[in-house]
Amino acid sequence: MQSAPLPETLANLLGFDPNSTPVMIVMSLIGAALIGTLMMTNTALAGPWAKRKITAAFTDRIAVNRIGPFGLFIIVADAVRLLSKELIVPEGVDRPAWDLAPLVIASTALLGFAVIPMGNGIQLADPEVGLAYVFATASMASVGLVMAGYASNNKYSFLGGLRAVAQNVAYEIPLILTGASVVIFAGSLQMSEIVAAQQQSLIGPLPSWYAFVNPFAFVLFLIANLAEVGRNPFDIPEAPTEIVAGYQTEYSSVYFVLVYLGEFIHIFLGGAIIATIFLGGPAGPVLPGIVWFMIKIWGVFLFTQWARSAVPRVRIDQLIEIGWKGMLVLSLANLLLTAVIVGVIA
Amino acid sequence: MSNPWIAIGALAVVAVAIPISMMAVSSLLRPSVPEQGKRATYESGEVPTGSSQQIKFNIQYYMVALLFVIFDIETVLIFPWTVIYRDAVAAVGMTKVLLPMVVFIGVLVVGLGWAWRNGAVQWVRSPRATKGADTYE
Repeated sequence: MQSAPLPETLANLLGFDPNSTPVMIVMSLIGAALIGTLMMTNTALAGPWAKRKITAAFTDRIAVNRIGPFGLFIIVADAVRLLSKELIVPEGVDRPAWDLAPLVIASTALLGFAVIPMGNGIQLADPEVGLAYVFATASMASVGLVMAGYASNNKYSFLGGLRAVAQNVAYEIPLILTGASVVIFAGSLQMSEIVAAQQQSLIGPLPSWYAFVNPFAFVLFLIANLAEVGRNPFDIPEAPTEIVAGYQTEYSSVYFVLVYLGEFIHIFLGGAIIATIFLGGPAGPVLPGIVWFMIKIWGVFLFTQWARSAVPRVRIDQLIEIGWKGMLVLSLANLLLTAVIVGVIA
Repeated sequence: MSNPWIAIGALAVVAVAIPISMMAVSSLLRPSVPEQGKRATYESGEVPTGSSQQIKFNIQYYMVALLFVIFDIETVLIFPWTVIYRDAVAAVGMTKVLLPMVVFIGVLVVGLGWAWRNGAVQWVRSPRATKGADTYE
C-alpha cells in the first residue's frame, strides 16, 4: 500500500533524479501548487454555491439558479464581486495584526493538507509525526481568530474572539484525545500507516475502519470537530443573532473573502482528518481512491451543513459545561477503554 | 525517501502565496472612496464609544484558558504512550504499560474534579441574567 509521496512521483514521472535536493524543491512546489489548487477548487465550490444550495434545500427555498447550469457561475460572479469591493479600514485597528489575521486563518488551514493521503499517490509529504502535525496546523486557526477579534477595535469582534478561544480550548482536548485513541489501534502517527492499518476486513466485507471499530470515538470526534470548525450547535464565535458576525464584523472586501475561505478550508481539513483516521482514508471499492476521498470529505461537509440548518446554537455557559464536563470526561474514558480493549486483544 | 519537510515547506509557501495574490488582485480592482464616518467601527448604528482594546472582559475566559494549558500538556504527554502502547503490551504485559497511565490520568481527573467543585468549569451567570430567567419562568 505504501506509495511514494507526490514530489517523488512527479520527479520520476518527469525523468528527474529524485535524490537531488534542488529537483525535490521544485517538484515539491509543483505538488504543493496542485494540492493548493485542488483544495481551493473544493472551497470555491462549497462557499458561494454548495452552501447556498444545501441551506436552501433544508429551508425549502430556491437558491442561486440564474447564472450558468445550476447557478454554478455564481462562483465567478461572487469572486469578482467580493474582490472588487472597497476595503474599509476601521478607525483605531491594530494595523499589522488586523492585516495578518485573514492571512493566518486562510493559510494555516491550507497547510494541514500536506500530510493527508488523498489516494492514487496524492500525498505531499508523509512525516512520522503526521497526525500531530495536522492537529497542530488545524488548531493554529484560533490564533488568527483572536488576532482578528482583538485587532478590529470593535466590541462585537472582541467578544467573538474571546468566545472563539473559549470554544476552541474546550474542544481541542477531547478532539486530540479521541485522535490519540486511534493511535493506540494503529501504533503510529504516520498518516499512511494509519490508513494502511484500516485495510483489513473486520467482519465479512466490512473493512476495519476505525469508525466501525470504535463508533463511540467516531461520534465524539465528529462533535468535537463541529466545535473546532465553529459550526452549529457550536457557532457562538460568530452568532449572527447575538454579536453581528463575531470576529469578522469589521472585515470587508478581500479580507472577508480570506476569513470566509479559511473557515471553509478548515471544514474540509476537519473532514480530511476524519476521513483519514476514521473512514479508511481513500479506501473504497470500484472507484479510484481520490474520488472516495472527495466523497468522504464532502460527506463531512454535508454533515456540518446539516447541523447548521437543523441544530440550535448552544449558549456560552452550556458550551463550557458540555466541553469540560461532558466531552473531556467521555474522551478520557474512551482513551482508557480503548487501551484496555487493545491490551486484552493484543 | 527524501525529507518530507521540504514538501511541507513548499506547501507553506503556496499557502501564503495564494492569499497574498488574492490581496494583490483585489488591490488592483477595488475602489477607494473615503467618506466622513465610513471608517467608524460598527456598533449597531450608534456612534461608537471608547476603545474595545481597554474593555473589561469576563475573567472566566481566562480561567478556562488556564485549565486548557494543563490539559494540553497532558495530551502531549499521552501521545508518545499511545504510539508505543501495542508493542509495549506485547513486550512486558498489559498491567505494566496501562497502570502508570491510569494513575497519570487519575491525577488529572482529580484535578478536573477539583476545578469542577470550585466552579472553574461552570459559567457563573450575572445576577441580572439569573433574575431575568426567574421572571420569565
